[in-house]
Amino acid sequence: MSQKTAEQYEESLRKMNFRIFLLGEKVTNPVDHPVIRPSMNSVKMTYALAQDPAHEDLMTAVSHLSGKKVNRFCHLHQSTEDLVKKVKMQRLLGQQTGSCFQRCVGMDAINAVDSVTFEMDQKLGTGYHKRFSDFLGMMQEEDWTVDGAMTDPKGDRSLPPSRQADPDLYVHVVDKNERGIVVRGAKAHQTGAVNSHWILVMPTMAMKKEDAEYALSFAAPADAEGITYIYGRQSCDTRKLEGGAIDVGNARFGGHEALMVFEDLFVPWDYVFMCGEVEYSGLLVERFAGYHRQSYGGCKAGVGDVLIGAAALAAEFNGAAQASHIKDKLIEMTHLNETLYACGIACSAEGYKTASGTYLINLLLANVCKQNVTRFPYEIARLAEDIAGGLMVTLASEKDLKHPQIGALVEKYFKGVASVSTESRCRILRLIENLTLGTAAVGYRTESMHGAGSPQAQRVMIARQGNLEHKKKLARAIAGLKE
Amino acid sequence: MALIGLKFCGGCNPQIDRLGLLEEIKKRLPPGCHLTLDQETGPWEAALLICGCPTACADDPKLEALSRCWIRISGAMVERETTPENKIAEAVMRKLFS
Repeated sequence: MSQKTAEQYEESLRKMNFRIFLLGEKVTNPVDHPVIRPSMNSVKMTYALAQDPAHEDLMTAVSHLSGKKVNRFCHLHQSTEDLVKKVKMQRLLGQQTGSCFQRCVGMDAINAVDSVTFEMDQKLGTGYHKRFSDFLGMMQEEDWTVDGAMTDPKGDRSLPPSRQADPDLYVHVVDKNERGIVVRGAKAHQTGAVNSHWILVMPTMAMKKEDAEYALSFAAPADAEGITYIYGRQSCDTRKLEGGAIDVGNARFGGHEALMVFEDLFVPWDYVFMCGEVEYSGLLVERFAGYHRQSYGGCKAGVGDVLIGAAALAAEFNGAAQASHIKDKLIEMTHLNETLYACGIACSAEGYKTASGTYLINLLLANVCKQNVTRFPYEIARLAEDIAGGLMVTLASEKDLKHPQIGALVEKYFKGVASVSTESRCRILRLIENLTLGTAAVGYRTESMHGAGSPQAQRVMIARQGNLEHKKKLARAIAGLKE
Repeated sequence: MALIGLKFCGGCNPQIDRLGLLEEIKKRLPPGCHLTLDQETGPWEAALLICGCPTACADDPKLEALSRCWIRISGAMVERETTPENKIAEAVMRKLFS
């Protein structure tokens, strides 16, 4: 097959047998569930655009394994051009969905696991890379969406995994036999989990010798027996249950996160890619995080494009578009947004080849990229709210707008410029609300802060990669220091 | 020139309406002349590369073999010559048939 159509993707999800709980109920049909469906549509777009000649140059790549054209989300980066195109693809998808399209975690996970298993095998004589390559071959052939799962619940942050009061607060091996391993624990904040075909689990942090049972990487079908998903709430999520299309802000697309719980999940050895090699757990985390920090330079810029466009339209609909301070705020939003993108492109262009042949981003620039992402979307959102005006949070409901008795009042008093309908004005203001404090704010704001690692994690990497000694040497030479 | 090759960039931040431009070009093509995305039908006498911005990231050296003559549209430029968006289709026609 090697590439699924959007329809084939949706059908493939219908055949899966997830165990999902949402708002206290077991979900029997996640694909059509009104809360979940918009997030599925976002992932579906990654398949649809790959089939579109106007976008396939970014959305597809040629597999180094099979020589076939594959979805870029299933591809290992073979050049800096691949890394750049990845960021451009992510910007495109952010623009097209106005939300998190969820498939990046899997792409970032396969690229990290590939190079780390290769290097691990070279040093330790293990046989993980061949297993991983076989898995990757299947992923590419079936065009799977894979959820890269890294973050453990972590319990008491002052204690290592092996000293937690409850050992399941980090994913760990509880049994091994000749066929495989048995796993217990959970992964938190799992983006796109219930829209995925497979999961690719990685350790959550660098481990020490005593934490060997937690140094674990494996793949499993996302609907395997022993996996339960507890769907995360989002601000304003129950608006999706009201049946309208205006108050949700973005009726077609969204994102999601879930808690993924492993209750004695059995994993055959063929799908185990790390099991106890503590010295490589930190490297895997560093590389996955690096790729994911690069990703945000694309996706957040794409969503930012939508928010900037919405703010500009809100200003037009308010009759304020010609005000100089509005123009200046839109310039500032664009400057911030393009700075995010610039860092994503820069860390890609400065990427390099690893021992396995897969290209890695420049880690310093990727961390700088993500550090900016922890700040700039907040400022862009603040400026969007400034331009939109208070109405974005005090607006009457869609039901009131369409009410037979009071609808005319809503229509009359929420009108902006005469040439634009009240409904259009409401739609744009609701979109801004959605992105800045509604369901999409999960992806655009808080995920910008904590996704791919919280701000301090980037600062640790920036300190490590910053080459301060070189800078001191430069200053000594310029100042003419002799000591 | 019955068959003209066609390739798009990925369209991450286009400064021109790439699909709108394609429609304008199609309208101006003489009868019997068609555009194709199918690279298996190459090499062609001529081909269009429609990129949304001056970076033209889809302009891959590997494309050279697919056509004797590539006409590169990169944002509001045809073959690196700045061209207003509403004049690009005409400029392409001139390059194709002059």
